Amino acid sequence: MNSNSHSSTLKIDTRIECNGSPGRGAVPRLASAALSLLLPLLLLSGCTSTTVDEYNPNPSHLGIGTGEKVVVLGRRQAGRYETEPEFIDCIRKNLTNNPSLTVVEEDYFLDSFYPWFEPRTAPLKLGRMRYMLTEDLIAEKMQALGIRYMIWVDGNTETTDSGGSVSCALSPAGGGCFGFASWEKTSTYEAIIWDLNKLAESGRVMVDAKGESYLLAIGAPIPFIAQVQGDACKGIGNQLRGFFEDSKAARGGNTKP
Amino acid sequence: MPLTITASQHIATRGLILLLAMLLFAGCSTNVEVKGTIPVALSHRLPLHAGLVLDPALRSYTYTREKGKKVSFDIGKAQTGMFSSVGGSMFDQVTILEQLPKPGGDVDLLLYPSVEEIQLATPFETRLKVYEVWIKYNLRVFSGDGEPLSDWIMSAYGKTPSRFMSSDEGALNQAAIVALRDAGARLVIEFPHIPEIKAWLADRFRSEPTTTTTDKAGIVDASGNPAIAVEAVP
Repeated sequence: MNSNSHSSTLKIDTRIECNGSPGRGAVPRLASAALSLLLPLLLLSGCTSTTVDEYNPNPSHLGIGTGEKVVVLGRRQAGRYETEPEFIDCIRKNLTNNPSLTVVEEDYFLDSFYPWFEPRTAPLKLGRMRYMLTEDLIAEKMQALGIRYMIWVDGNTETTDSGGSVSCALSPAGGGCFGFASWEKTSTYEAIIWDLNKLAESGRVMVDAKGESYLLAIGAPIPFIAQVQGDACKGIGNQLRGFFEDSKAARGGNTKP
Repeated sequence: MPLTITASQHIATRGLILLLAMLLFAGCSTNVEVKGTIPVALSHRLPLHAGLVLDPALRSYTYTREKGKKVSFDIGKAQTGMFSSVGGSMFDQVTILEQLPKPGGDVDLLLYPSVEEIQLATPFETRLKVYEVWIKYNLRVFSGDGEPLSDWIMSAYGKTPSRFMSSDEGALNQAAIVALRDAGARLVIEFPHIPEIKAWLADRFRSEPTTTTTDKAGIVDASGNPAIAVEAVP
């Protein structure tokens, strides 16, 4: 669904991807018989439904000049959860598929600006970021590193439902597992782009991904895992990349340090 | 045919039982030696010579918990590194000491941190999917002539998300590093704003007007008040 307003765009894209696959390992013959019985169920397994919602206050692409860089940072101030560092890294890798983008690694950025972007001290709003940039040390460092865009990602992936059970036994004659278990994971993330030159918000992307995984055990356990977080990363990363695509300043090399 | 057990088989069986028992008990305890580095802080340095007292108790601090799942949490080396790194970013000159020196030395200020309390929480205990570490420090501050200036209780917090197949040790180590970074952040940003320290700094720089120059504006303003601009933000 696409809808346009005067100067901003709001896009919502929903898709279902079934990229789950059986885990590695030998499937015993006993299991293969049961597998054919459960085929209709397994066909449904490993699917992730992803909804990406984009808000772009300025429908033209975000410009990025030579030497200017992007940094993707996770929000860590919430008590109950924290945005996973590996998710941030996944988005960074996705963004670097655009050769015109140089994306600074989160750890490198946090260490370079320590202690101003720690969970306790990181700016939550642009007002505070603006104020922080009045501090010479921070502004000079930002300029030295060439940071033009800051992308803040907030959210997490959690198990929202689970059921069934699998039990395993080991004896001198051998061992095995029997049972069936399933669990549902939900990923909810929001990414906000700050333009540090204009000190303004340049867009935001929200992603909601949900998927159910299964573990079937008849002798050997056979997992069918839905890549919920991976699909959320792909969804949010592709959308964020779209903000910068067609950037005129195309350059080689795309990741720092 | 009678079953006979030779002496070597007997020893092997005992060894196996001992090994199993060791594995069983190892599974019941968590031993963490916190490892990691804290970066140099991006901050203006106070134009002072500070003495940083890192005594043997702090350097070798190990938190142990006997109730429930046994925990041994050795944070001594890591926190010594944090105080050394962050202290070095706060003052023009820092001397690391092992004990409080006699009054009348050549330092302007003495900082003497000690651990008051440590708490750890794992997802098994809290049902949250994060590992958490709280550290409460008492930072005693003395003037160079030994006069006590402040007892600042500084708490720090760190957490890290649980991961599939990750060990308690690895996750607690990571949470401890986040907590140490938090302690360092508080020290750098809040230290000049502790009321007693703020008053002492104002007094000190009023009597030494040459240090209140514009290039130190991030620390001391024209009227001699300590002012790290980034702190008081709406």
